Amino acid sequence: MPENSPQLHVENIHLSFGGTKALTDVSFDALNGEILAIIGPNGAGKTSLLNCINNFYKPDRGSISFEGIDITHLPAHKIPQLGISRTFQNIALYTGLSTVDNLMAARHIHMRQSMWSSMFYWFGAIKEEVENRKIVEEIIDFLEIEHIRKATVGALPYGLRKRVELGRALALEPKLLLLDEPMTGMNVEEKEDMARFILDIHELQGTTIVLIEHDMGLVMDIAERVVVLDFGIHIAEGSPDQIRNDPAVIKAYLGEGS
Amino acid sequence: MEDFKLDVLDTLPKQFLHKAEKFGDQNVAMRQKELGIWQEYTWQESHVQVRNLCLGLVSLGLERGDRVAIVGDNDRQHLWADLAIMATGAITVGMFTDAIPSEMEYVITHSESIFVFAKDQEQCDKLFEIKNKIPLVKAVIYWDPRGMWSYDDPWLMSYEQVQERGEKLHQENSDLYQRLVADGNGDDLCNLCYTSGTTGLPKGAMLSHMNFLSAIEATARIEPRFATDNQVSFTPLAWIAEHTLSVTPHCMIGVIVNFPESPETVQQNIREISPDLIFYPARLWENLTALIQIRINDSTWINRALYNLFLPIGYKVADLDYEGKPVGLATKFLYWLGEVLVFKPLRGQLGLDRARFALTAGAALSRDMMRYFRALGLNLMQVFSSTETAAVGTQHYRGDVKYASVGKPPPTIEVRITEEGEIWLGGPNIFHGYYKDPEKTEEALSVDENGVRWFHTGDAGYIDDDEHLIYLDRVKDMIELASGDRFSPQFIEGRLKFSPYIRDVMAIGNADVEYVSALISIDFQNVGRWAEKNRIPYTTFVDLSQKPEIYQLVSEAIRNVNETLPEGGQVKKFVLLHKEFDADEAEMTRTRKLRRGYLTDRYQDMINAIYTGEKAITVSAAVQYQDGREGVIETPVRIMSMEEMKAL
Repeated sequence: MPENSPQLHVENIHLSFGGTKALTDVSFDALNGEILAIIGPNGAGKTSLLNCINNFYKPDRGSISFEGIDITHLPAHKIPQLGISRTFQNIALYTGLSTVDNLMAARHIHMRQSMWSSMFYWFGAIKEEVENRKIVEEIIDFLEIEHIRKATVGALPYGLRKRVELGRALALEPKLLLLDEPMTGMNVEEKEDMARFILDIHELQGTTIVLIEHDMGLVMDIAERVVVLDFGIHIAEGSPDQIRNDPAVIKAYLGEGS
Repeated sequence: MEDFKLDVLDTLPKQFLHKAEKFGDQNVAMRQKELGIWQEYTWQESHVQVRNLCLGLVSLGLERGDRVAIVGDNDRQHLWADLAIMATGAITVGMFTDAIPSEMEYVITHSESIFVFAKDQEQCDKLFEIKNKIPLVKAVIYWDPRGMWSYDDPWLMSYEQVQERGEKLHQENSDLYQRLVADGNGDDLCNLCYTSGTTGLPKGAMLSHMNFLSAIEATARIEPRFATDNQVSFTPLAWIAEHTLSVTPHCMIGVIVNFPESPETVQQNIREISPDLIFYPARLWENLTALIQIRINDSTWINRALYNLFLPIGYKVADLDYEGKPVGLATKFLYWLGEVLVFKPLRGQLGLDRARFALTAGAALSRDMMRYFRALGLNLMQVFSSTETAAVGTQHYRGDVKYASVGKPPPTIEVRITEEGEIWLGGPNIFHGYYKDPEKTEEALSVDENGVRWFHTGDAGYIDDDEHLIYLDRVKDMIELASGDRFSPQFIEGRLKFSPYIRDVMAIGNADVEYVSALISIDFQNVGRWAEKNRIPYTTFVDLSQKPEIYQLVSEAIRNVNETLPEGGQVKKFVLLHKEFDADEAEMTRTRKLRRGYLTDRYQDMINAIYTGEKAITVSAAVQYQDGREGVIETPVRIMSMEEMKAL
C-alpha cells in the first residue's frame, strides 16, 4: 500500500456496556506506516477502542476496515492473520513457558505442517521449526533479550515481560501493531529503551503503529499524529504540536476554567 | 616451550598473518554467538576481514604511526578493527563503552585520533555530540547498523563501506597488505592504553608490539597455552588485560577467541564454552562464592549433603597441596570421589570445569577465598601487574602458591625493591612512557645501564624469604617509623579485618615511635558466640573485650598477619577497645571509614600509655547515648604485647 493512504479506517463506532457509553461516534484513520498515538484521561475509552479494532468487543454501531476489508464482524482469532497484532496493558503471556516458547507460539499462524507431521517431527516439520526459530531469534536479537531466551516468563521482571510481549506481537509479523500502554510501570531508562524499539520497528519494517500511552512527553516525542478521546468522544486529532495547543484537549486534561 | 620466532615475527600483525597462513581454513579462529548459535570463523575468513579493513583504512588515508580510537562491546568486528589498525602500522586507542562524551573527547583529542570505530548508535550519538570538538576525526566507522538507517552524514561510514574500498585496493595491488605488515617493527607502538588513574586526567600508556609479545612469551614459560585453547573475551578490549588474555595469545599461539552474545549473557556463554583459562578481578571471585552459597542452599538436599560432606576433604587436600605435603591414598580416593560427585559438576555450572588455571588481580583476595576455590579443585592464582607492564608482572606458579603473596616474576621479568620500599618491574614488557606527558613518564619510567626499562609501580612491597613478592599498599600511603621501617596501616587493618572476630582496627605508628601497635574493636556477635561455645561467661561488651581468652583469640589473628609482614613493620602491641568505633561519635564516617585524625586525638592517652610501656589504662570515654544524653564510663583496658601473648 502507498504511504499516507489509510490502512485502518474506523467509522462512527458506538460501544456501550449496559447504560454506560464507552465510545460515542468515534472515527479516525491510521495511515499506512505512521505512528499514531491515542491519548485521553482515565476512562476515556482508549482500551475499548483498541479492543474493538481487534474484535475483542463488538461495536454496537459503526464499522472498522483494514486495508479495505471490513473486519467489524470477523471473529477475534482471524484478526492476526490479516496482519494486526497487539500487546496488552496487563501483560498476557504464557507465564509458565520460556521466552522462546512464547515467541514460537505466536508463529503458529505461519506454520503449515499437519498435526501428524509435527508430532513425529518429520522433515517438513523440522524445516519449518528451524525457519520459524530463526525469525524468533532475530526478534530476540532485535529486542536485546538474548539473556532471557530460556528463562521462564513468569519469573521475569515487569519491564522485561513487556519486552517479551512486544516480541510476541512482532513474531506475528504484523502490518499494524497495536500497543496498549507499552511503557506503563517502567523507569525512565526502560521507557527510553522501549521508545527506541518502537521507533526502530517503525523505521526498519515500516509497520503502522497505534499506541495508547500516558507519558505525554514520550507520546509527543515519538508519535506523528495524535487522536484524543474524552469520555468516549473523539475531541481532537492532529500533529503533536497542534494537540499540545488545542483548547479542547487542555480542557479535558486540566478541567474547566483553565 | 613453543618457539614464537620473535626475532622474525616481531609484531602482532606478523604473528597474526603467520597463524592465518598456518591454519587457513582448517582451524577456527574465533566464534561469536548470534541468533542463539555459536557462529564460527576460520583463520582464512578472519584474515580476509582484517586485510580488507586494513586496506580500506589505507585508502582513506591512514598512515603508519597515526592513531585510531575504538569503542564498542567485545565482538569479532572489534578485534578485526584492532588487528587492521595495527596492520596499517597505526596505533589503536581503546575507549570504554560507558565513557561519557567528555571523556571520549579527552581521549580522542589527546591521542589525536583521526578515525574512530564506534560500534553502534549509542556510541555514534555520543560522538555526534562532540563532533565539532574533535575536528581531527575524518570519519566514524560503525559496525552495528541497527538504528543507523536514517543517519545521513558523510562523517559516518559503515564497516562494509570501508572493507569494500579495501577489497578494491587489494585487487589493484595484491601484495600491499603483506608489504604493510612486513614494514612493521617490533619496537613500533601499537596501542595507547588510557589508564583512568585515581587522580587527575587519564594517562596514555604507550605500548609496543614487543611489549605484548614478550609479555606473553614470559607467561608461556610458566603456563603454556595452546592453539586448541578457548578463551571467552569479556573484559573490555579497552583494558590492557584483554590484550594479554585474548588478543596477543590469539595472534601468537592461535588461541580461539569466543565472543559473548551480549554483555548480559556473559555468564551463560562462559558456561557454554568453558574456557581453558579464566580471569576475574578479585571482586568477581567474591561474588562467585556468594553465588555458589545461594545455589547450594537452593539445591536439593542430596546435593547439599554431598557438598557438605566433600568440602572438608577438598579443604584438606588443598591445605596439604599448599604446604607441599603428600596426600594419603585414602584421602586421594575420597577426593577423587568428591571430584566426580561434587567439585567437577559444580565447576561445570560456573564454566570453570576445563580451566587449567584461573587468575585473580586487583585487590588482594582473602586467604579464605583462595583456599575455598582451591578446595573446589580450581587452580586459582594471583597476578600483580598493571597497564604499564602489558598486564604481566608477577604471578603464582603452579605448585608454588602463597596466599599472602602476589607470586614471582617469570624468568624474563625482574622485580626490584627500592630503598623507599617501592616495587619496580623491569623487562621487555615495560611500556615506553605516557603519551605527551614527559613529567609523568619521568616519574614512572627509568632505563638502567643495560637498557632495561623499569616501571616504578608506586606500590610498596617486599620480597620474602621464599622470593615471593608481597604487596603492601601504595607508597604514598606508607608510614615511616622512628626505626626507619615502613608500614601500611591500610594493609594491616584490611588483613586483620579478614578475621571474623575483629570488627574494626586502627593501626598506629609514626616517626616518633619504634613499632606498630593496633587499637582493635572486637566483633561482639562473633566473639560472643565463640565465648559461649567455649564456656566463657561474660556480661557486657566491655567485660567480654577484656577477657584474657579473647586477647589470646585476637592475638592469633595478629600473629597470622604478622607472618606476612617484614619484621620491622609487624604489630607489636595491641589493645582491645571497650567499645566499637561509632559513626554517631564521629569516630568513623557513615561509610565506616576511620577518621584517623580524630581518633588519634581521642585515644591520645591510650596511645601514650602503649608506647610508655604501661600494662593497662583506665579510660573514661564520653559517650553519647542514642537518646541524645551524654555520659561517662570508666573502665581499665589492658595493653598487651605480642611477646607476652606468645609466652602465655
